[in-house]
Amino acid sequence: MSQFYEGMAEILDVDVTDIDPGYELGEAWDSLAIVSTIALIDEVYDRSVSPDALGQCTTVGEVEALATAAA
Amino acid sequence: MTRFGDKAAEIEKMTGVRQRHWVDDDMTTADLCQRAAERLLDQLGWERDSVDAIFLVTQTPDFRLPATACALQGRLGLGQHALAFDVNLGCSGYPYGLWLAMTTIASGTARRVLLLAGDTISRTVDPEDRSTVMLFGDAGTATAVEADAEGAANFILGTDGTGERRLIIAGGAYRRSKDSAEGIGTNADALYMDGGAIFNFTLATVPKLVSATVERAGGAEVFDAFLFHQANAFMLRHLAKKSKLPSDRVPINIDRFGNTSSATIPLLMTTDIAERLTSTKTRLGMFGFGVGFSWGSVDIMVNPLACAETIYFAGLHE
Repeated sequence: MSQFYEGMAEILDVDVTDIDPGYELGEAWDSLAIVSTIALIDEVYDRSVSPDALGQCTTVGEVEALATAAA
Repeated sequence: MTRFGDKAAEIEKMTGVRQRHWVDDDMTTADLCQRAAERLLDQLGWERDSVDAIFLVTQTPDFRLPATACALQGRLGLGQHALAFDVNLGCSGYPYGLWLAMTTIASGTARRVLLLAGDTISRTVDPEDRSTVMLFGDAGTATAVEADAEGAANFILGTDGTGERRLIIAGGAYRRSKDSAEGIGTNADALYMDGGAIFNFTLATVPKLVSATVERAGGAEVFDAFLFHQANAFMLRHLAKKSKLPSDRVPINIDRFGNTSSATIPLLMTTDIAERLTSTKTRLGMFGFGVGFSWGSVDIMVNPLACAETIYFAGLHE
């Protein structure tokens, strides 16, 4: 399992085996989760993403796409 | 805290704040700094008349005018030859205050400077805004700086004013245009914080600041401790890791005091490393960053301090 998925599982407080690109972020996707994810993306990809763009994401796959697409 | 329900535990986990001290309604930053200054002057045995300058770094002054530093000159009984003014900076304020104190001494204007730094952010937060209510604490500090032929420090200071609205109290001053209230929360008199934007600013700025400071000093190993503004524990751990600093030289006390704005760095000096500072010559790297956006670092060798105490007293509650 990737470091990114492990981090997302911790942020969303679920088991890492539950995490896949289709995982719905749901109500857990609040401002705290977003700030944690900014740090995770910085750590894993050494990239900066906008909190507004992260706020628009609805699935783990969308977050991953944003992280890997970020300049 | 209980009114925030399950979220309170999550916020505590991220910010690392388990306890913080707030002033009662009739106490101000000036009161905290005055108590600290009186104690410090007594411990050092400095005559009040020997202080040539007093600077107060705060964003929570007693009044819009006059400058609270002027009032404190009188309340502390300092001589009338003392220059006094306020510096409106928050999280980056302590490095700036030290720069100002040392520059004033280096210019020959003063031999002894009293640097006061602190805030009572509790008086500015919206009680319903869990992101700020659970993060900020109140504190006032006093630092005595004296001319020394061998005294030296290296500073790196910087500003990005495009972050103006990311951490702001828009009300209470003089800008009244309609657009001034846009995007800064619903209560213009309360502190508004865009946590995500501030986190991104910090990630973009602070590792570079640390790297430049360490490079200029000749390596991280020359420092005995790295004192970071205590913004939030999660961010601090991330910054230390990203900057490849040894965690045992990055003290964290936000768990006991919260984010106390410009007071966090001197508060670390009177808590987690007080024993070392009073017994041994210590080389410190200090890093302040936040509201403005503004940032600053100091690389400074500190001789054993005569006083590094934390004072608690009536009028403060947890």
